[in-house]
Amino acid sequence: MFLVTELLSLLATNLILTQALGTSTLFIAAGNKKNLLRTAIAISVFTSVGSGAAYIINRLLPDGLSDLTLLFYTLIIGIIYVLLLTALYFIGSESFGNTRKYVHVSAFNCAVMGTLFTVTERADTYPQLNTFFNFVLSGIEAGAGFILAAFILTAAYRKLNSAKVPASFRGFPAMLVYLGLISMAVYALR
Amino acid sequence: MKNRKTAVFDGLLGDNTVLSALMVISPVIVCGNTLENAIALIYAFSAITFFSVVLSSFVPRRLPYAAKIIFYAVIASIVYIPVKTAAREFFPEVVTRVGIYFPLLAVNSLIVVQTEAKFFRMKRGAMIGSLVFCILGFDAVMLITAFIRELLAYGTICGRLVDADTLISGLALPFGGFIFLGLLCGLYRKVRSAVGHDSDNTGGDGNVSGN
Repeated sequence: MFLVTELLSLLATNLILTQALGTSTLFIAAGNKKNLLRTAIAISVFTSVGSGAAYIINRLLPDGLSDLTLLFYTLIIGIIYVLLLTALYFIGSESFGNTRKYVHVSAFNCAVMGTLFTVTERADTYPQLNTFFNFVLSGIEAGAGFILAAFILTAAYRKLNSAKVPASFRGFPAMLVYLGLISMAVYALR
Repeated sequence: MKNRKTAVFDGLLGDNTVLSALMVISPVIVCGNTLENAIALIYAFSAITFFSVVLSSFVPRRLPYAAKIIFYAVIASIVYIPVKTAAREFFPEVVTRVGIYFPLLAVNSLIVVQTEAKFFRMKRGAMIGSLVFCILGFDAVMLITAFIRELLAYGTICGRLVDADTLISGLALPFGGFIFLGLLCGLYRKVRSAVGHDSDNTGGDGNVSGN
């Protein structure tokens, strides 16, 4: 029962299904299971570490300079991007050529940046959520939400790309309509 | 082989930024439900993307890929500041309503992906032409989407009531945006294949990386 409740809450707060954040990245990830797993891991690292760093920036940045928030978030993601690439290089320099593309795809996109802004917005609305732990947890949740949405899309990926679908709607258009239907179901859960 | 002159116009018709390449779709899906939102987002997207890509073209080509992408994103974040300040003057309500989608325009795929994949492989004049048409491609889709969704969901055009018998309120919500964009995307492909632009209109066209 606990798992079902958690799954429903993950769906109801899912950034892709409720806010359309990172939809294009999801389409890449859903292409095959290897892509899905690696992109999801990279995005989860960016969202969780980035959210923690966003908390610190929010604390340090004076209210009058809120327009600089994006710039600082970009710098955070840039630093995580470099650190992640460096770590991957030292972990396995032979496979670096294959793995780095997932980091490139995941670094600067709406899924990651949207998470930082959404978590901050939520903390502004509900001050009890304005803790470092909650920011990191929300970042992890966003990553898990991405994986969940990617699995939902992967389940129908072949059929949406099959010859049975009219040529004009095959692929992206069918996937968008499919995500719309899932999003409608999630909307009913909220 | 594609004619170089027509390739410059591709972002608008032949290879539309939103409908073919599926770039920058989040703002269209979530905020493209009224013309008021659309105009503010078109202004912000056009200004941020144009100035960011043009300024980014001066970043040295010899830098590693990751460093260049970070520079482009930082440049876009800096360009975003005056654009937002001006938007607050002209569209104060929309800036609040659009919320997080306003800053997210600064990390759109045209800036962080297409710069390296497409624009900076062209000569500067052609690059600016291609960039303008890519921006116009987004603007056109945003306007069409917002017009139809506002009319069908709220029964208004630019906030003014029109005589609409049936309203589909769900069309203003994100799920309505997903479905509408999917249908528009399919229609676009159908038209494109009918006019002979595309011999194979199956899935997989365009670059879907990024936003």
